[in-house]
Amino acid sequence: MARVKISEYRAKKLILGNAYRGLELQGGVKLPGRLTGQWVAKVDQGVKKRFKQGLVAIGSRSKLVAALNSWKKKGFSRFIVEPFVPHKENEEQYLSLERVREGIRVLHAHNGGIDVEAHPEAVKVFVVREPADVKKLVHATKIPESFLSHLLETFNANFFAFLEVNPLVVRKNEAYLLDAAALVDSAGAFFTRVWSESDIVETKSRHPAEERVKALDATTPASLKLSVLNKNGGIFFLLSAGGGSIVIADHAELTGAGKLIGNYGEYSGGPTREETYLYAKEVIGLLLHSKAKRKALVIAGPVANFTDVKKTFLGIIDALSEKVVELRKNKVKVFVRRGGPNEAAGLGLMREFLKREKLLGAVYGSDAVITRAIDEAIPTVC
Amino acid sequence: MLKILEKTRNGEDGIIAIGNHPAIIQSILDFDFLSGKKKPSLQCIITGNRKAHKCFFGAREVIVPCFKDIEHVPADIKKRVRWMLNLQSGRRAFDSSVRFFEAFPQALGGHIFAENVPEAHATELIRRYGRTKLIAGPSGVGILISGALKLGAIGGIDLTQIEAGKFKIPGSIAVVSTSGGMTNELIRAVAASGHHVSFSICIGGDRFPVTSLSDVLALAQADAQTKALVYFGELGGSDEYEIAELLKKKRFTKPVVAYVAGIIDEAFDEHMQFGHAKALVHRPDESARAKREALVKAGAISPATFTEFLQAIAELPRSAVRDTVADIETIMNRTPSILSTREIVDQSEIPAFVKRGKLARRGENSFASSALKALLGCAVSPTTAAFAENTFELLIDHGGAVSGAVNTMVTARAGKDMVSSLAAGLLTVGPRFGGAVNESARAWLSGVASKKSAADFVEEWARSGALISGIGHRKYRVGVPDPRVAALAQFAILLKKHPHYDFAREVEKITSGKNGKLILNVDGAIAALFLDILKECERYSHEELAELVEAEFFNALFIIPRSVGFISHFIEQKLHDEGLFRLPEELLFVRKGKK
Repeated sequence: MARVKISEYRAKKLILGNAYRGLELQGGVKLPGRLTGQWVAKVDQGVKKRFKQGLVAIGSRSKLVAALNSWKKKGFSRFIVEPFVPHKENEEQYLSLERVREGIRVLHAHNGGIDVEAHPEAVKVFVVREPADVKKLVHATKIPESFLSHLLETFNANFFAFLEVNPLVVRKNEAYLLDAAALVDSAGAFFTRVWSESDIVETKSRHPAEERVKALDATTPASLKLSVLNKNGGIFFLLSAGGGSIVIADHAELTGAGKLIGNYGEYSGGPTREETYLYAKEVIGLLLHSKAKRKALVIAGPVANFTDVKKTFLGIIDALSEKVVELRKNKVKVFVRRGGPNEAAGLGLMREFLKREKLLGAVYGSDAVITRAIDEAIPTVC
Repeated sequence: MLKILEKTRNGEDGIIAIGNHPAIIQSILDFDFLSGKKKPSLQCIITGNRKAHKCFFGAREVIVPCFKDIEHVPADIKKRVRWMLNLQSGRRAFDSSVRFFEAFPQALGGHIFAENVPEAHATELIRRYGRTKLIAGPSGVGILISGALKLGAIGGIDLTQIEAGKFKIPGSIAVVSTSGGMTNELIRAVAASGHHVSFSICIGGDRFPVTSLSDVLALAQADAQTKALVYFGELGGSDEYEIAELLKKKRFTKPVVAYVAGIIDEAFDEHMQFGHAKALVHRPDESARAKREALVKAGAISPATFTEFLQAIAELPRSAVRDTVADIETIMNRTPSILSTREIVDQSEIPAFVKRGKLARRGENSFASSALKALLGCAVSPTTAAFAENTFELLIDHGGAVSGAVNTMVTARAGKDMVSSLAAGLLTVGPRFGGAVNESARAWLSGVASKKSAADFVEEWARSGALISGIGHRKYRVGVPDPRVAALAQFAILLKKHPHYDFAREVEKITSGKNGKLILNVDGAIAALFLDILKECERYSHEELAELVEAEFFNALFIIPRSVGFISHFIEQKLHDEGLFRLPEELLFVRKGKK
């Protein structure tokens, strides 16, 4: 994914450098024995509205320990601990930066804690295109120039995509980042050393199949994506192409079968036979694990530009071959629509295989409409 | 920027590919050929480890030059370059694109194929080239201008796809999408409904395409050939609002047929990230439904289902374009050569060595003289030297298909040095390749000494089941004599007696009587004549000739000149380096091993 969340700790450390006194707790790192004064502890896993969910604790060390233990019991594993900054509510401001086509878009509001979407009128929008724009921004927001230009520079140089500081407290020349949320551009990982894979936070726990596909995706120039939507769904998708796959899933929703979809995902960009095999294996595994009574596998996609239909279908056949007995036992039928290079050969192989193994629902090529396979699959699982 | 389509249609189509993707590159040449171009648009490839890449232009093979970097592209190629096809990874795409546009300020644009180009790199490319160049990507499948330019995988990579998409003929419908697969699906939908594409741009699924959707619409508005626009978009981002805005302000006045995918997102509790980086709803107005409604409100035709969308495409006005059908079957039957080489010696031109009873080409023959003196240990007569010289000349090379030359070339392609490659070729010389001269000399010498008739001699060989070295040719036969043998045979005229040559010819009469191909070949003729020349001109006794046969002297007549040939093949491979050689799998017959 292009934009990913990094931990609040890493974001603040990058912005504030050595001046930042916060601590990161994860993987066995414990709270220091002595903490003087008031501190704040928060779950640092990209969770929104932490305060409302009770995932923020303020106080002495013992109070924090109790909170941390209760969060761990809830399954959280990454925390941030930092000195508490006492402030008045009217000091709170809102600031966000986002990389846009023309430069960096800055949103600022003099009252913090707001829901930006709900109160667009309270928010001023600026676009920083060139260094001269920073002066105007300082003038309009009254945020100290040293902090603002350093922030923009850090943002730009370290492949940040989005940063939200809410609330922000400004006192004379000092800026305090009370809460911060940051997205970085994952494509920048190769070019920067200041953040890495280990700083990326996951909001929800992934399905093991998703984990495996993600790991596979990281090691190929092709694109392999998988999301588990409904473990007990009836329609499982082996879709190809980023855009075409949505058209096919749309059709299921438009014909009232959206809730039956077990997974979404797509392979594209010319994966090899072996990569397609590994990917297909995961989808077939999900299908077999589903407790739905009637199940179908839909292998569909648009007319590929360069992904070889024969090569990728051989990979899918490899994966199907391993589970033919189980698939038959589950009464699974396979519905196919695909076009592209080596279309005739690929479809021929698939049709022959499905027929022989008694799994054939239907096989269509580029002369059929893209939604044909899903269209025929839906009535068999409803 | 608005003139880019026009310029390209007028022949400014020269492409440099940065990085190699053989299937995509071949599809560009196929498109050029089917579009009726006389020359491929692809000028060269920037890639390491090779100096040439073979492609087909129609059914004929052509060599595309490869260079290590942009700076090495020669001036005559440089002046034809207008387009960049950047096939490098996201890690290198930015640097190489900047270097391209710095080296080719006159370039019209390009396509960056890579996914995973950092956003910051994309915005920097926009800042530098956004206003002046047409750049598809980062990501996506490129740019298509019907009949004029195929820059990338767009429209498919095999001939059947190019033919089915009908985009070798200029039409009137512009196809635009962020999605590569759907761009092609729409091109095919346009073709299937009897329409033709004027141009198509896949702007890519990244957040910041260099050429934006608005830019493409401006291009479509300015293009007189384009009468309507077909668009496929997805949830996430705000592209569709750009279209709506242009429609409302009447800055785009042609019909727009659009489909916005992503209704499925409504089936889930949380917004989901779909395949493309941008395909995630952050704000309510980024939903497929909201964007479709905005388009409809602005006057676009944007149906709720894909089937209705296809119907709307079919109803667009048609332009009067006649389809042509290409015989792609013939082109598809082409088989690629596996090694490319140069004609080192003109096999069709055999000089006359002897004319009117005299040596035709009186020269010093100093190398041949010195070589023979070294080999035999004594100075030789002009006739002997001339025969050696002419033999050398004939045997330098016999084309790239023979096994010794193949081994030399394969070794050179593995990156080895001259001596190793030459040795690989020479080590092939033996009983089945190149070693026949010595074996033939042995046969003629023993045959003459035995005083047997040629018929008995042949009978004896036949009975033992062996083939006579020096007899038989793959191509030439009785009635179609080998011109090299004919040229060498003239040396017999210079001699008073030529018993070995006569014997060889007697043997030939018997063998060729059975099979017209069993004629005296060049190895046999060299062996026979050299035996006679050494005997008459250098006064060699039968015993001395027998010793030379044992010492394999006659093979030297092959090895010396052929070394030159092998070295020539070596140099040719280095000059035209195509990288490591690997036998195509389909040329191997593999049996299952025993378990």
